[in-house]
This record gives sequence, structure tokens and C-alpha cells, in this order.
Amino acid sequence: MTMQLKSLPHPDGLIIRVDERRLDAAIATAFKDRIRGMIATGGIQIILDLGGVDFMDSSGLGAIIAIYKAMPSGKKLTLTGMTPNVERVFRLTRMDKVLPIQEWAETPASSNKRAAE
Amino acid sequence: MFHRIFRANPATVRAVLHFLRERFDGCAESEVISKVELALAEVLNNICEHGIRHEAERLQGQPHIPLIHLCVARHVGGIACAVTDDGRPLPPSCLEAHGLPTISAPADALDAILLLPEGGFGWFLIQELTASLSYFREGRRNFLGFIVPVAEPPRQPVASNEG
Repeated sequence: MTMQLKSLPHPDGLIIRVDERRLDAAIATAFKDRIRGMIATGGIQIILDLGGVDFMDSSGLGAIIAIYKAMPSGKKLTLTGMTPNVERVFRLTRMDKVLPIQEWAETPASSNKRAAE
Repeated sequence: MFHRIFRANPATVRAVLHFLRERFDGCAESEVISKVELALAEVLNNICEHGIRHEAERLQGQPHIPLIHLCVARHVGGIACAVTDDGRPLPPSCLEAHGLPTISAPADALDAILLLPEGGFGWFLIQELTASLSYFREGRRNFLGFIVPVAEPPRQPVASNEG
């Protein structure tokens, strides 16, 4: 099964667009491995765009937390584009308070500003 | 109403939940259906991950993949789900009140992310999303039932002061 991940260039790094509709136990481990590989070869600022995901379970959440924990030092990962079902899992587990999440309206430039403060 | 019998593996779970969503589309608010889908995903994933038992030696000790019966019905007050499986018994601790897995550092600590748990959210989510969660074991089968209410249950006052 090929995973629907799209890699888009970004001035400071990489935007990874997840076009898998379900981030669940069936793909969580493969997803984690693929994203880690893309992060290793991407730039400093990585944006993980979950806009294409309309269902995520705790396996998907666990994969994203594992990706964060394995971030190479000096690189920054931000989540964006959460749909309501994905947002619910982050909110119920309080992970929205701990992980860097960016609203759609914010641009990559504003997160650079935050990083410079 | 929805009924399916299937072996516990992540691919069949995915297919069953996809079909469930199609079947219940329009029966309740999409938020309620999404909660049913998430609660069932957590229950079914647990059976896939923890339910496999090994047959007796005389049966070559083969792993037995649990056979799941899933029944979901729309009622007045909510969507009722019954899940039975012939896997290993559910540990009673799963049904005790579940908090979040411990976050061992304040959220503003620089390395807070490194200390985050990667799992242990499943039963917390099931308890958050459902009401009337009940369980019994009969013979070789686990029976788990719950309701996802159609109206929002009254929220517990939350200690945080965020807006």
C-alpha cells in the first residue's frame, strides 16, 4: 500500500501534506517511518499538514508523538490543518497543549518570528 | 442498525468502520457518528493488539485471531454499540476510571515533548466518548457494551481557565 504523502518545498524546510484519509492502526507504524525519513532529508522547519486526514485514532496520535520525540536536534516540527475529528483527539488527550500546532491562518513566516523571539 | 462478524486485524477494522460510517450517515449528527467511530476504533484496535491467544499444544499452539461480532444500533438517546470477541479476557483494570497517561513535565519545559507518553490513550478516549460502559466475560467471549449519547452529556466543570 503506497502512502499518500506529498512533499512541498518551503523556504526554510519542508511541508509534508498527508493525503491519507485515515491515520489509524492500519498505517500508524509505516506512517511514522515514512515521515521520519522525510524529516531526515528535509530542512530545518518541517510543517506536517494534516488537512487531508478526516479520521485519526490513538495509534495515529501515538505515531505523531513518536515523530516529535525523534526530531533531530535543531529541526522544528509544526502541525497544521487539523480537521474536527483530528482536533478532537488532540484536545481530549490534552496534546494540543503540549505540541506546537499552527492554525491555518498563520503563515510559516509568523512561526519564524516566534522562533526568533 | 448494523451487524458485522470479522477477524481482528487492523485492515478489516478499517473496512468495517468505513462501512459503519456510510450506514449511519444522516442518522445522527456527524459529530456523534465520528465519536462512535473513534470509540469503536479504540475498542477494536485493542482486540487486534491484545486479544490474540495461543491454542493448546494439541492444536499446534497456533495463534488464534479473535473473531469479533459488532452490533451498532441507533436508539432515541444515542447510538448503542455491542462488541463481543473470543480473544483473551479483558483485564478488569481497563474499565476502571482512566486518567490521561502521566505527562511527566510541565508543558513549558523545553524537553517536555521528549517525556510524552506515546500510548495509553485508548481507554481514556473510550471513557471520555461513551456512557454506560459495561463488560462481562461469558465462556470464551468478551462482551463490551456502551452508548454514545446523541445529546452532549453535561460537562464536568474544567479546572483550567482557558477561554
